[in-house]
Amino acid sequence: MNYEGVIEQSSVGLKELVESGEEIIGYIYPHVPLELFMAHGFTPSLVRALPGTSSGFEESLQTFACSYIRNLYSQRANGQLLPLAGLLFPGNTCDALQNLGDIWRVRFPDDRVFRLTYPVTRYSQDESTTKFLAEELRILSETIANTFNRPFLTESYDRAIELVQDFHASAQFLYSARVVNPKIIPYSEVVRLIRTFLTAPTISSVSNIKDTAARVRVTSEDLGLVDMIETVRLAITSGDYSGVKLPEDLETPRVVIAGGMVEPQAIATLINDIPDISDSAIVLDLLSFGFKTAFTEAPSKSSDPYLAMAQSVLTAPGEPTHEGLSYRMKAMKDLLSNLSIQGLMVCEQSFCDPDQFEAPSIERAASELGVKTVRVPLDPELSDRGRIETRIQTFLDTLE
Amino acid sequence: MTQERASEEKPYRRLETQALLQQIAFRHGLEAMEASENGSLAWVTSGFPVEIPIAMNLGVVYPEQAGAIIGAQKIGPAVSGYAEDLGYSQELCSYARVSIGSTEKPDEVPMGSLPTPQILLAGNNICGTVLKWYDAISEMTGAPVFLLDTPPIEKQQLPHNQEYVRHGVERLIEFIGSNFNRTLEEDRLREVAELSSRATKLWIRALEACKNKPSPLNCADRFLTMAPVVSSRGTEHCVEFYESLVAEVEERAKQGIGAIRDEKIRLLWDNIPPWHTLRFFNILASRGVVFPADTYTHAWTGNMVGTDTPSIIDEVVETYSKVYLNMGLDAKVDKMCQLIDDYDLDGFVMFSVRSCKRYSLGQLVSKEIVTERTGVPGVIIEGDMVDSRVYNAAQIETRVDALLEMLM
Repeated sequence: MNYEGVIEQSSVGLKELVESGEEIIGYIYPHVPLELFMAHGFTPSLVRALPGTSSGFEESLQTFACSYIRNLYSQRANGQLLPLAGLLFPGNTCDALQNLGDIWRVRFPDDRVFRLTYPVTRYSQDESTTKFLAEELRILSETIANTFNRPFLTESYDRAIELVQDFHASAQFLYSARVVNPKIIPYSEVVRLIRTFLTAPTISSVSNIKDTAARVRVTSEDLGLVDMIETVRLAITSGDYSGVKLPEDLETPRVVIAGGMVEPQAIATLINDIPDISDSAIVLDLLSFGFKTAFTEAPSKSSDPYLAMAQSVLTAPGEPTHEGLSYRMKAMKDLLSNLSIQGLMVCEQSFCDPDQFEAPSIERAASELGVKTVRVPLDPELSDRGRIETRIQTFLDTLE
Repeated sequence: MTQERASEEKPYRRLETQALLQQIAFRHGLEAMEASENGSLAWVTSGFPVEIPIAMNLGVVYPEQAGAIIGAQKIGPAVSGYAEDLGYSQELCSYARVSIGSTEKPDEVPMGSLPTPQILLAGNNICGTVLKWYDAISEMTGAPVFLLDTPPIEKQQLPHNQEYVRHGVERLIEFIGSNFNRTLEEDRLREVAELSSRATKLWIRALEACKNKPSPLNCADRFLTMAPVVSSRGTEHCVEFYESLVAEVEERAKQGIGAIRDEKIRLLWDNIPPWHTLRFFNILASRGVVFPADTYTHAWTGNMVGTDTPSIIDEVVETYSKVYLNMGLDAKVDKMCQLIDDYDLDGFVMFSVRSCKRYSLGQLVSKEIVTERTGVPGVIIEGDMVDSRVYNAAQIETRVDALLEMLM
């Protein structure tokens, strides 16, 4: 199935929900507590850049706006977005998304636009950041309740916690299983399941990823890999890799994908479309819509749901606003060296500050370990696809 | 646009106070070198509450100001190239690129490379880029970074936002204290804040004198004379400089002497200027165009002393959170409309700076709103503040001409 087909398929669940009268609140930055929307009776849906959306932004955004926000704006201007009850923008994550929220309010005054402002947590050793975000979440919750006359229901919140916890547990298991044996399940399948959940986090989409994780677990048991997979999962979540001992006969090449709000499905499609190459070369990604979402801790059940949700959101690993550069580079180096990684593909979107600022540091950090790198300019439209595929193929050839 | 006249009588008048700028810049440079040698130099962002490190006896320098100097010397592309050779994209902030480039090759940048920092103090009230930029410098120099996080506010600063920023300011004091083994004396902070406030008030007086017709200052005058309020506020010599400036500017206003000789059209400038092409303003001066106000230099009008807050720390919190770049599109539009009204302006020029997303994204929308609210026309021109490779003079000339045709 081609990339567009996969995206179309992952949207089917959402379309069905809309047609059945379910109300959707869209969000753009992946680290939002889905449980909050569910507690108010809404289905949260991640609104992402889509291929085939190349124009429509010109009236409101300059060409040097990052390709991601140009794409989002164009979708809205072209009427490509499904009907949303509201759309949540992040504040304080990057300048482009910050300003897009303001522009959106002016250009689409009938849209209900909300904003959740994040603290930059990286240097604080105290609870001020969690308290700040908890209050932001409480205010957002009150706004939603007042706007739609839908109160925060504890029962719905508790059910949402269980649903999201199931998703995280399954996604983490699948990611960890692929670190041990990338052929145990295709990367494209894992990220498709995650995409489907983030598009429509329903019982059905969680069942899909849970069932898949259960099947992979059975296979892993047959291969005697379950303990090793659990060790990897714990190592990734704790940052302590001392217990990790991977098999010596690992198939090569073993590649990690680094980047920010780059679509994992696009990477999988690009690699699978290269002749004689499969996505089993990808051991792990470090992307916002993949790894960073999967390895965020779910909120605990607590007497203060806003505090619990804030604590959960701020555990998202590897985000520039959450962790300083030196911390992120150390974490990445630990991961590369302990998971026997040979190559690193650094994806960056044009005019994306976080991607482009980080790429040179990532290259240097990988180089210190002898891990080869390639930088892949990747826009949502995959506008330079042929050249990108050649670049990736050449890179993978050097790892053989 | 016609070329700048070569005759002896320029279309614009040079400020006598400008001569003092060189002295201040020289003194500032020496003090920074000395601080670096003594192990107590901080690099700070322009919107940072500099009163705190100054009160804790740190030397301070501003990489953005160094970027402007590099731009004005027209070596932006070359210095930026040193950063690009390290892998930093040409699409990133050009202040950041030349900062990284001049840190990598300081010997190649005699004017504009800064002495080695011992600490990096960043405030994200001006943009989010500073976060990554200072991280990159930290990686190169080993100096630790402190980020004072001031989450953007809408309309008003809510109590939890105030409390959070206040906590950040307290951590800043601890951070400097633990790195340099010193404490902050409240009296000393009050003294520095008073000096800072005096300089800022004088600066505001100089800006407001431009409401007069003809305007005693043009854009380029303000871009140059803003340097001390950015880099030296909180010091005696900064106050002295602005006393001289205000005296000259108010005398000009009293005598009816304009910054340009034949003022015909009064425009607002939006955004950072093209430091490499400040003559843009002089060329327009020859056509009778003056810029009595701009959004950039008016950004340094936050006044700490005299607010209704209970303590000096709360004043810091309030002043530095309410920088208008930290308050969204509405605040920026309000500011532009207010300046157009207060300074009786005929139109506006918005400089769309390719490498400054926080300032520039939203200009297409705000241009429409400002015209709708004020009834005056505007034009958007595109380029960069430091990187002259993306400054297309011919295209800019065509656009500005179109605006002037409407106004002539």
